[in-house]
Amino acid sequence: MLSYILRRIVATLPVMAIVALFVFSLLYIAPGDPAVVIAGDQASPEDVERIRQGLGLDRPFLIQFGSWVWRILHGDLGTSIFTNLPVSAMIGQRLGPTLSLMTVTLLLTIVVAVPLGVVAAWKAGSFIDRAIMAFAVFGFSLPVFVVGYVLAYIFALELEWLPVQGYTPLTEGFWPWLQNLILPAIALGCVYIALVARITRATMLEVLQQDYIRTARAKGMGQGGILFIHALKNAAVPIVTVIGIGIALLIGGAVVTESVFAIPGLGRLTIDAILRRDYPVIQGIVLLFSFVYVLVNLMIDVTYTLVDPRIRY
Amino acid sequence: MDRRTVLKGLAGAGGLALSGGLSAPAIAQGASARTLRFVPQANLANFDPIWGTQYVVRNAAALVWDTLYGIDSSLQPQRQMVESEEVTDDGTTWTFKLRPGLKFHDGEPVLSKDVVASLSRWAARDPMGLMIKALQQELTAVDDRTFKWVLKQPFPKMLYALAKNNSPCAFIMPERIAQTDPFKQIGDYVGSGPMKFAKGEWVPGAKAVFEKFADYVPRQEKASWLAGGKQILIDRVEWIVMPDAATAAAALQNGEVDWWESPIADLVPVLKKNKNISVDIGDPLGNIGSFRMNFLYPPFNDVRARRAVLMAMSQEDYMRAIIGDDNSLWKPLPGFFTPDTPLYSEMGGEILKGKRDLDAAKKLLAESGYSGQPVACLVAQDQPITKAQGDVTADLLKQLGMNVDFVATDWGTVGSRRAAKTPPGQGGWNMFHTWHAGADCINPAPYTAIRANGDKAWFGWPTSAGTEKEVTSWFEAKNLDEEKAAIGRLNKAALDDVVYAPTGFFLSYTAWRKNVSGITKGPLPFFWGVSKTA
Repeated sequence: MLSYILRRIVATLPVMAIVALFVFSLLYIAPGDPAVVIAGDQASPEDVERIRQGLGLDRPFLIQFGSWVWRILHGDLGTSIFTNLPVSAMIGQRLGPTLSLMTVTLLLTIVVAVPLGVVAAWKAGSFIDRAIMAFAVFGFSLPVFVVGYVLAYIFALELEWLPVQGYTPLTEGFWPWLQNLILPAIALGCVYIALVARITRATMLEVLQQDYIRTARAKGMGQGGILFIHALKNAAVPIVTVIGIGIALLIGGAVVTESVFAIPGLGRLTIDAILRRDYPVIQGIVLLFSFVYVLVNLMIDVTYTLVDPRIRY
Repeated sequence: MDRRTVLKGLAGAGGLALSGGLSAPAIAQGASARTLRFVPQANLANFDPIWGTQYVVRNAAALVWDTLYGIDSSLQPQRQMVESEEVTDDGTTWTFKLRPGLKFHDGEPVLSKDVVASLSRWAARDPMGLMIKALQQELTAVDDRTFKWVLKQPFPKMLYALAKNNSPCAFIMPERIAQTDPFKQIGDYVGSGPMKFAKGEWVPGAKAVFEKFADYVPRQEKASWLAGGKQILIDRVEWIVMPDAATAAAALQNGEVDWWESPIADLVPVLKKNKNISVDIGDPLGNIGSFRMNFLYPPFNDVRARRAVLMAMSQEDYMRAIIGDDNSLWKPLPGFFTPDTPLYSEMGGEILKGKRDLDAAKKLLAESGYSGQPVACLVAQDQPITKAQGDVTADLLKQLGMNVDFVATDWGTVGSRRAAKTPPGQGGWNMFHTWHAGADCINPAPYTAIRANGDKAWFGWPTSAGTEKEVTSWFEAKNLDEEKAAIGRLNKAALDDVVYAPTGFFLSYTAWRKNVSGITKGPLPFFWGVSKTA
């Protein structure tokens, strides 16, 4: 297993290199110029050109790419064109809020979606099943920002239970940290809960038709035991896969959610950097996200061995 | 369904529910009355007011760095760091003396050498500074509190240049910081202004914090914009960046923030209904909407095509697209200068007044030789003001019978593409939309967009000898009457040649909670004199 994990990690390096080259090339040919944004609306073309030179943006593509790769190899993600701060420091500042949001959303999803999917499969065809699936369709169809606004209106403005915006670090207490994340996690989690609930239901329905389930029932096993010991464990592989793939959805969804709830996370940093053409920051974030994505895929594969002993690497 | 529709709907619902007002929620009750939480118009992405000239940087910089002179609400320069100044009879030698007791945030005294270095850096970037630099013989420190600026010929607008609030302002920094290349960014934010920048708490794109500077020595005069005594009555100002307008509105309503600089027009009715919130015009100098036509290529290299567009355009259409139905927020603008300011002029503005004559405009366009070639019209979709204007322009051009190549893109792309002098079909353009702060349009000194010196002019590269002649006349004017006369002639020449198309004058609101007092109208948010109760 350890050698497999090491092989997989080594295999990510060419992937990361291709991603890096692709992103750098894309930004190089994309329209827009950070020097223009920096110089402001009243700046002369000469001023803009001087700023471009100052930032090294007038150098040929290969030289720019080469120096960026060289820095990356030395563990330096570069410096933000705009803030003059190290990209690694900026990412570090924003990692906490995004990880917190994703963690709470992920936990919320697992706690809500899996039982809903199991119950829907158990009560297949009944009113409860249809109600859960209707909720899933509804949750899947609503944009994050709509859910966000509605939640903020009800729970922050009307009931005054929770704050509208912001983020409190965990170091300042569990409840202050959590109360800032409840609404965004629900808003972000809606699509995700719907997706996982539907997959859980479909997989469970398939498993519940299997012979060993019929045998368990014939032996007089209780419904809970059948559902959660036999069926769910055998249905776990596709569910784990969807949960893993869903992390990519979470990264995308975090961009909107963080904007709606003014959470100073990586999603917002990404949008800001793209709009300003802050190339080093965009490159740093994309590299990080691709690494996370590769890592998540690896974790999913490793998790398979835990839920299904037949899988060996 | 889009975000705007949703937030309007919810805002409306909220407005009904909140018409009785809301008490601050429990979570807001513990907030210190000594901390003011402010939602700025944009993200503070960098903090060098000479290197980066965005308004938001200037607004934050006005807290941290002081200026030698400050512009007051009458648009007059007043002494700020300077105690006295002398100018020789021939107008070529200015001698300035600093106020005693001025200190930087690191405890060091403010000396003439700091001023000299700061002015040198500023003069390399500012249009007026460049004019002074071109006339400069020497800029030297005479002693610790006195410095001298010797010119080859007089520059009557010297004090205005040092006082103006247009970016970049002549902020004074310590010599070690001011020696940074003006085209490279500083990383040390030490000033002598009324507040210190808490660099350790800065999360670019999310939060910036300013703390009261205990050793700041305010002037004795009453504060007026950037002039007078900058008395800070709070310990701390937190700038909280909120990209989402609906969230900012909700945060203001339930007391999570105290002051929102630029609420969007859609949400103002909701805020006005809340008994805990005050809403008023933020900047009386407002904004001037604009689109520019490229003088280098057909069809707009012909003045008749440009005039045809002006003859057909309805400023009311543009203003309603930007503002909505609040008629108190806009005015027609048959000219280029900010309404209700001393130099405002409507001379030559007939082409923008009265009933729009589409037939006459079509005829004039045909005379210009336009024969259906595509008109590349750049419209930034991520800026509500440019998007609104772009939609109106597209319709206008179609009504004129023009073939519109509507380039819907983002501001970053418009910003770089508009600098291209290549033909429209090869990455260039024919039109782009923007707007100008009214504070930048009170006279020709900071008004880059009005210049019409061809290749050296702003994007679109207009050429208008008449306009340029009157810019020079204004700079040389010896009194207000001469200035007004020059501006009248300038306004006419710029309209005759259509240096750019003004789409109207519009204002915007600012909103704050009623436990905050001392907020004044001005071209930027002023924090001196602002206080807050629990």
